Amino acid sequence: MIRHGESKGPIQASNLDLRFASGVMRHKEASGLNACFSCGTCTAGCPLSEVFPEFSPRKLAKMVKLGMKQEVLGSPFIWYCTTCHNCEQHCPQNVKFFNILNVLKNMAAQGGYAPSPWVEQTRQIMQTGLIFRVNEDLVEKRKARSLPAIRSDGTKAKKLIESTGADRIKAQSER
Amino acid sequence: MNGSIHRYALFLGCTTPTQVIQYELSSRWVCKELGIELVDMANFACCGINQINLSQEAGLLLAAMNLAHAEKRGLDILTLCAACTGALAEAKESLRDPETRNRVNRKLNRVGLQYTGRTQVKHISRALYEDVGLDRIKKKIKRDLSSLRVAPHYGCHYLKPGSAFEGFDDPNNPKTLHELVSATGALAVQYETLHLCCGGKSFPVSREPAFSLIQKKLDNLAKRKIETLVVQCQTCYLMYSDQQKEINKQFSKQYAIPVVLYPQLLGLALGGDPQNDLGFDLNAVPLDNLLAKAGVDGKI
Repeated sequence: MIRHGESKGPIQASNLDLRFASGVMRHKEASGLNACFSCGTCTAGCPLSEVFPEFSPRKLAKMVKLGMKQEVLGSPFIWYCTTCHNCEQHCPQNVKFFNILNVLKNMAAQGGYAPSPWVEQTRQIMQTGLIFRVNEDLVEKRKARSLPAIRSDGTKAKKLIESTGADRIKAQSER
Repeated sequence: MNGSIHRYALFLGCTTPTQVIQYELSSRWVCKELGIELVDMANFACCGINQINLSQEAGLLLAAMNLAHAEKRGLDILTLCAACTGALAEAKESLRDPETRNRVNRKLNRVGLQYTGRTQVKHISRALYEDVGLDRIKKKIKRDLSSLRVAPHYGCHYLKPGSAFEGFDDPNNPKTLHELVSATGALAVQYETLHLCCGGKSFPVSREPAFSLIQKKLDNLAKRKIETLVVQCQTCYLMYSDQQKEINKQFSKQYAIPVVLYPQLLGLALGGDPQNDLGFDLNAVPLDNLLAKAGVDGKI
């Protein structure tokens, strides 16, 4: 596994995919990446970077612009973002890094890197509408507290998820 | 009047009704006390926030579907989970774009739904703040909680991304939860790690970064004289409360910091029974000391 936090010597131009950045920015949600001038305000305000410096929005944005496709999409760290939105909240250039990261994660998922928890949750939603199963113990526990039975519907959710192809995404562990 | 000041479709989400039922219990009780009517829906599903990881379109469609269900009933949505709040509010923001809305509606139409944007989304704390108001809350207080020092934790998606929340509060310098805590009579303290995220949204994929985030906050709170951390999201609750044992093991610590959900604290001030009305007995870190300090009778 290639980790973007590891030092592996200088970047080789021959390994860069020069169409990667434009491919990412073709997605409307990521179109703002061009405005990024690598100031690092995103990383400075990122709580995850504070405790886990290997994760850096600034570095990831730069890697996308350079065309480091394999290193970005294959990095386990892109899945570590806690989705706090500070990066875009603080960005002086109004770059929506959270949305850019989502585009990257979606591409990585298509490319075979989807973490199993997200794949399992999607499958569960298609069955029950929720990411959890409701077992007998829970039914009893809720009854004992006079809470109404949990009602949800997965039929419409299933059809909608299927319309996007997300139901066909396999977890990295299943490949 | 005993009529309701506002009527909402209750959006429970996935985690609250299955893992943190004290949040649901206390929210229902507090809303009833303060005249917010909650309607239980049969057809809500997951808000879609985690599906965004695999497919932004799938996440957006799930959120839009839920909004459309509420619209069909002519109701606004009241959320408990900060992440559901953010997912639904963000979807509303995306759906302002006519091209996106038309694309989403073509798919919703196939399952008999339509999105127009009529339904508003409010987190329970925002509904308490805006619909009930601090003054009306203060007038209803029955128990004196002035001996409690409380550290508020906002939860990222309660106010972010700021563009999705119509100027409600300031995501960089929030104050509404501090004010809501103060309205109960308890003292809302400021602390250094207020801004730290609970890490819950990446916890299923990678536990270690989340543990580091939680430990940093618990360490800060342990050095402050507080009786409890107060949260307004069940995921933040689970991370700081249920994971505290694991943090103690991993970092060789003995943290014993109580964590309550805001409606539990408010409910206590409003005179609710800690166990039957507010589910205090279900919290992972025992709340006996907190109750004793507040002078509330009753074993839990």
